[in-house]
Amino acid sequence: MFNPQWDTNTPNRLRRRLVNGVIPVLLLAGFSVSPLVYANQAILFQMMAFMALAQGVNLLYGFTGYLPFGYVGFFGIGAYGMAISIQLLHFPGILAVIIGGLLSSVIAMAFLPLLRLSGAYFAISSLAAAEVLSHIVSNSAFIHITNGPYGEQLTQSYHPLTSYVVMVIVLVLTTVVVIFIRNRPFGRALMAIREDPVSAAMAGISVVRARSVVWLLSALIAGLTGALFGWHMSVFYPSTVFDLNISILAIVFTLFGGYGTVTGPVLGSIVLYGLYNAIGISDPQYFQLIYGLLIIALVLFLPGGIISLIQRRGNYVP
Amino acid sequence: MKSAGLIGMSALLLTASLAGCGASSSSAPPTKNIKDITIGTLYAKSGAFATSSMPEYSGLKFWASQVNKTGGTYVKALHKKVPVKIVAYNDQSSATTATSLYSQLITVNHVNILVADFGSVLTSVAVPVAQEKKMLLFDQTGTGASFFTPSNPYVVLTSLPTSGLWPTSLAQYLIHKGYSRIAIVYATNDFDQSQDQTLVRKLKAAHITPVYNNGVPTSTSSYSVLLNNMAHTKPQAVIELGYPNNDIAFMQALKASGDHFNMVFTIFPGQLPQLFTKTLGASSINNTYTYPAPPLLSFSHVNYGLNTTQFESAYKKATGQSTNFLSIAGYNTGLIIQKTLSTANSLNQLSLRHAVSRFSGSLSTLDGSFKINSEGAQIGETLPVAKISTNSKGQLSIKFVTSPNS
Repeated sequence: MFNPQWDTNTPNRLRRRLVNGVIPVLLLAGFSVSPLVYANQAILFQMMAFMALAQGVNLLYGFTGYLPFGYVGFFGIGAYGMAISIQLLHFPGILAVIIGGLLSSVIAMAFLPLLRLSGAYFAISSLAAAEVLSHIVSNSAFIHITNGPYGEQLTQSYHPLTSYVVMVIVLVLTTVVVIFIRNRPFGRALMAIREDPVSAAMAGISVVRARSVVWLLSALIAGLTGALFGWHMSVFYPSTVFDLNISILAIVFTLFGGYGTVTGPVLGSIVLYGLYNAIGISDPQYFQLIYGLLIIALVLFLPGGIISLIQRRGNYVP
Repeated sequence: MKSAGLIGMSALLLTASLAGCGASSSSAPPTKNIKDITIGTLYAKSGAFATSSMPEYSGLKFWASQVNKTGGTYVKALHKKVPVKIVAYNDQSSATTATSLYSQLITVNHVNILVADFGSVLTSVAVPVAQEKKMLLFDQTGTGASFFTPSNPYVVLTSLPTSGLWPTSLAQYLIHKGYSRIAIVYATNDFDQSQDQTLVRKLKAAHITPVYNNGVPTSTSSYSVLLNNMAHTKPQAVIELGYPNNDIAFMQALKASGDHFNMVFTIFPGQLPQLFTKTLGASSINNTYTYPAPPLLSFSHVNYGLNTTQFESAYKKATGQSTNFLSIAGYNTGLIIQKTLSTANSLNQLSLRHAVSRFSGSLSTLDGSFKINSEGAQIGETLPVAKISTNSKGQLSIKFVTSPNS
C-alpha cells in the first residue's frame, strides 16, 4: 500500500501532496454544489455522515487493525451529548455538536481498557460497550437527562441548512486529519503496530499511546457525526442513533473502498450508499443480495478493497 | 499564496453550499397542470414495524383503488374529479431511511399530499421535515403527544387518540373492579411508557399503588423470568404494555408458565386479532382483556365511506386479505384526505389544514368520530376495554367492560 519510491523522489513527493490535497477540495466542491442539482439534502447529508464515519472506522481499523463493531456507541453518545447540551444547557446548535463530539471522546477514555483485547474479542466487546451505552441512555432512571425511551425532540433547534454546512466542514476536516496522519511518521507507526505490535514496540514505538490517540480521535469523529446527525434529524429515539446497522454500513463502506487509504472510504460510501439509494429503497431484497455477494467477492478476491486494483499496478493512491 | 488561494476557493464552495441548500426547497407543480393527486407515503416491508405498516399501507391503496374506480376524488380547488396516484417507498422500519425518503417525497417527487408510515417511531422523523417544508403531514397512527404543538400547523392525526390518553378506560375499569394488587410490565418506548405513566398516575389518584411496575427493552422476547417475578407479588390484574411482538412473547410466556390471574391485559390482540390467533392459538387469548379497535369495535353511524361490513367484504374481494384495525386505519386516512380535498378551496398546504379543521367533528367513518383539537391531535376516537372470548372453532368475540362511547 505504501510505495517508498514516493518518499525519496522530490517531484513525486510534491505530486503526492497535490493528489492528497485534491480529495478534501473535491469533497467540499461536490457536497457544496450537489444541492444545486439534487434537491434531497437528506440523502446528501447521510452520505456525508457515512463517509465521515467510514473515515473514523478507517483510522481505527485501517491503521491499527481494531475492528470496532460497537462504533455506533460513540455515534449515539455524540447525538445525545448534543441533545442534552441543547435541552438542558441551552447551548446553540454548533457548540452543542462540539460538546457531543467531546463527550464521545470522554466516554472513549473510559473504554480504553478494551484496547487490551484484540481481534474478535475486541470486536465483540466494543459491541457490548455500545449496547451498554444504549441501555444507559434509554433507561427510565435517566429520564430527566436523556428523556429515556421517549427520545429527543429538538424541533426548536431544527436547522437543516446549518447542520448540512457544518457536516460538510466536519467531513472535510476529518478527511484532512486522515490524510495528515497517513502521511506522517505517526501514521506509519500505526501501520507498523497493525502489522506486528511486538515488533513495533521493539522498534521504539509507544504502542499504547499511539492506539489510545487513534481510539480517542475516531471516537471524536463518530461523536461529531452523531451529534450532527441528531441535529439534522432533530427527532430521534435511542434505537435510531444506537442502531447497529450504522456500524455495519460504516465498516462495509470502508472495506469495500479499501481500508488504510484516504480514498477508499470515500469511494466505498459513494458507490455503496449510492447503490443503496438507487435500488435498496425500491427493492431492498435485491440490494441485500447484491450487498452480500459483493462482500463475499471482496473477501475472496479483493481483501484490500477496490482501491487495491489500482495499487496492484504500482500506482499511488492517497 | 497557494494556501490563500485554496482557502479562498474553499470559502467560495462553502458559500455555494449555503446557496445550494437554500435553493433546494420544494416547488409543487402549478395547480392548473395537475393531472392526478399524488399521495406520498412510506411503508415498512421488513423489520420491526412490518406487521403493522403493511396492512395500513394496503388499506390506503385500497382506498385509492376505490376512488379511482369512480374517476378519482373530487378536488374542490380544481372543480373536478382527479385520479389519485400513490408514490410509496419502503423504509424497512428504519427511521434513518425514512428521513431521507420523506425528504425525497417532498423535494424530488413533489407530492401533493404527505402521509406518514405506521407508528410513532417512523412518524417522528416526518414531523420536523414536513414542518420545515411547510407540508401538511397526515399522521395515520403516530400517537406521540409531542408531535402536536401549537407552533406546528402541519400535522393531523387521522386515527387513534395520543398514546397518553389510551389507558383512561383501563384505569377506570381497574378502579371500578376494586383491584388493589396490579402488576404492570411495559416496553421502554415512547408509546408504551407514556401509557404506563398515565395508568400509574390514575391508579395512584385512586390510592392504588401497583405492586409491580417495571420497564423492559422493546426488544424483549422472553417474559418467563419477569412473569415469575410478577407472580410472586400475587397480583389480581397483570397489565402488559408493548408492541405486537412484546404482546405475543408475553402471552407465550404466560401460557408456558401455567400462571393464572383474574385479569390479563395486552394491547394488540384488539387491533391484530388474526395475528394473535394464528401465532398463539385462539385459546391463548381467551378471557384476556384488550382495547378493541375496528373491526371488533363497530360503529353504527357512518356518514362517510364504507361501513365495517361493507369494508370487510370489499377489502377481502380486492386484496384477498382479512380486515384488521390497521387496514381500516389506512382506509380511514384515505377518507380524511378525500374529505380534505373536497373541502379545501386551494391545494395550498395551510388551506388543506384549515379544511380539516372545518369538517372536524362532523365526520363519522368506520373508524369512529373524526375530531381533532387545535394542534391536530385526534380526540374523537376512544378506546374502551373489552374481554376476549374464543369458542372451540377458534372464532373470536368481545364483550365490552367499559362503555365504547366513553
